[in-house]
Amino acid sequence: MTSWTEMQNRSFYEATARQRAKYLLDEGTFHELVGPEAGLSSPHLPVLGEAVSFDDGVVTGVGKIGRRPVFVISQEGRFIGGSVGEVGGAKMVGVFQSALALYEKAAAKYPGDESRLPAILISFETGGVRLHEANAGLLAHAEVMEQIQICRGKIPVLSLVGSKLGCFGGMGFVSGATDLTIMSELGRVGLTGPEVIEEVLGKREFDASNRALIYRTTGGKHRHIMGSANYLAADTIHAFRAQVQRILALPYAEITAHRSIGSPALVEEQLGLTALAAEIKPKDAAEVWAYYGNANCETIPDLSTDEFLQHVKTRKGGSAS
Amino acid sequence: MSDTRPKNLVGKGREALETLLAPGSFSEGAVGTQTLDPALGPGAVVGTASLQGRTVTVIANDAKVRNPRFPVVLAGVIGLEEAYKMALAVYLTIEADRDAPLAEKRPILLVVDSPGNAPGKVEEVFGMHLATGAYQLALAEARQAGHPVVAMIIGRAISGAFLCHGLQADRILALSAAHGTMIHVMPLGSIARITKMDIERLEELSKTNPVFASGAGYFYKLGGVEEVIDDPADMPAVIAKHIAEIYKLNAEDRADELGPWGRGTLGAERGGRTKRGQVLDLMASQVAALEKELLS
Repeated sequence: MTSWTEMQNRSFYEATARQRAKYLLDEGTFHELVGPEAGLSSPHLPVLGEAVSFDDGVVTGVGKIGRRPVFVISQEGRFIGGSVGEVGGAKMVGVFQSALALYEKAAAKYPGDESRLPAILISFETGGVRLHEANAGLLAHAEVMEQIQICRGKIPVLSLVGSKLGCFGGMGFVSGATDLTIMSELGRVGLTGPEVIEEVLGKREFDASNRALIYRTTGGKHRHIMGSANYLAADTIHAFRAQVQRILALPYAEITAHRSIGSPALVEEQLGLTALAAEIKPKDAAEVWAYYGNANCETIPDLSTDEFLQHVKTRKGGSAS
Repeated sequence: MSDTRPKNLVGKGREALETLLAPGSFSEGAVGTQTLDPALGPGAVVGTASLQGRTVTVIANDAKVRNPRFPVVLAGVIGLEEAYKMALAVYLTIEADRDAPLAEKRPILLVVDSPGNAPGKVEEVFGMHLATGAYQLALAEARQAGHPVVAMIIGRAISGAFLCHGLQADRILALSAAHGTMIHVMPLGSIARITKMDIERLEELSKTNPVFASGAGYFYKLGGVEEVIDDPADMPAVIAKHIAEIYKLNAEDRADELGPWGRGTLGAERGGRTKRGQVLDLMASQVAALEKELLS
């Protein structure tokens, strides 16, 4: 059996949802919540003659990182594209509710000690709503957004994006609404998937089969230059975990100061970016990289994560790693 | 006297405002002490008006204009500028009533008729996911502060646009399907294509299964729509009724019966979403059993 230590070097991109959930936390501390043995699978898929998964494509659990109780939501792209339905959505909402309940108890037991308060990690791999149970999935997304707002001021919520399918659709804005995002260069975040953009704009404007274009538009390096991927990690479970550990050692005020949206000032900042979009009308994300002072933009996709972080100029200035 | 009101308000957000609001009361762009630049995000109409004697912030879609800076923003699509403008209207509302008591936090009325978020390349480069997320967080914050938020679906409430502009409301009301209202993630034909399921079978199943079918009635069963309105003339009174109920529930510390969470409970009551509650209960009990270890 592969040891916890060996698993740390595994590719985050390739790891299953359960591996990500378990090995992001301290060794031996992971407890799965509403796991497969609970038998709570989708009631809607069998009606359509589709196979179910006993975790409904999302692994939820809790354990520790240092002294903190840490909840994890980890989506499994191998099951219907990591899509969110009634059960998987409820598992996500349940994590927020459980973390809020535990927060009150932790705050009462350890007054003034932030290192004892719960945190939430979301490891995304999804295209958003599960079409087979689309309406229930949609309602679940709205609940998750509400829960993120309720957690503010109390519980750090961190997004991790580095899995095969990226993070799209409604889960794109869920990740954007959290306190902070860690991506690998293999991660992708967006709202509208490449195929739909191609359908709207035509293949000449956006070729959905062009992987390099997709990465330039939504990938980890691009999001880091734009500032919405606060940190860029190498593609190992260890690298994501180490970054999470560094973040969770910070005071809450510093963690939440990483936010991209969620206040009038941040909306004004994003509106400034929108004005820039209207002004420079970039045909390609690389034009925005050049705007922020990067030279030789055509070489950026080929740089290793380390080289990229050493040389890149980002919207927020310098490299924040 | 013949009724000249349009029977179908799809694509007619501004006409709908005339039906909904006291005549001449709509002050476009003005929210609280500020006035938003009218050129910003023309696909979103925001402002202050009087509804059944109450001052409300209004946020609507205008399907008849194009955004000259963002070519994919037309027909009521919510683009970057539109979503941030909508978010600002919400934050200005919160700011305007910051010191007001709970009973005087002004309501926010969302008049919903949008086919989606802007599906463009520039939008993805700059982060359309952040724009729609920003508006949702603002609405969630307004509800937390005690502003009643009511969504009135007069036309299209489609997928991401509905999530952005509607699903964070305390209460969601919809004109009945006879008025052309559309509520769904995708039309059945697209669902059939993407999931590789048989369209005839989907159509048959959709008659009894609300989880993927399109329409206000199905969302009602799931708890996703609180009330369906048959006659557009009834909209102002029904909206006012719901606003009054929201004030009451907030005053009684029963806000958990409202909004996305409240609709989850409603979905179980109406039999459309029965597993959600089982998942939540089981997880809460499992975490309670681990409490000692987690807090050690």
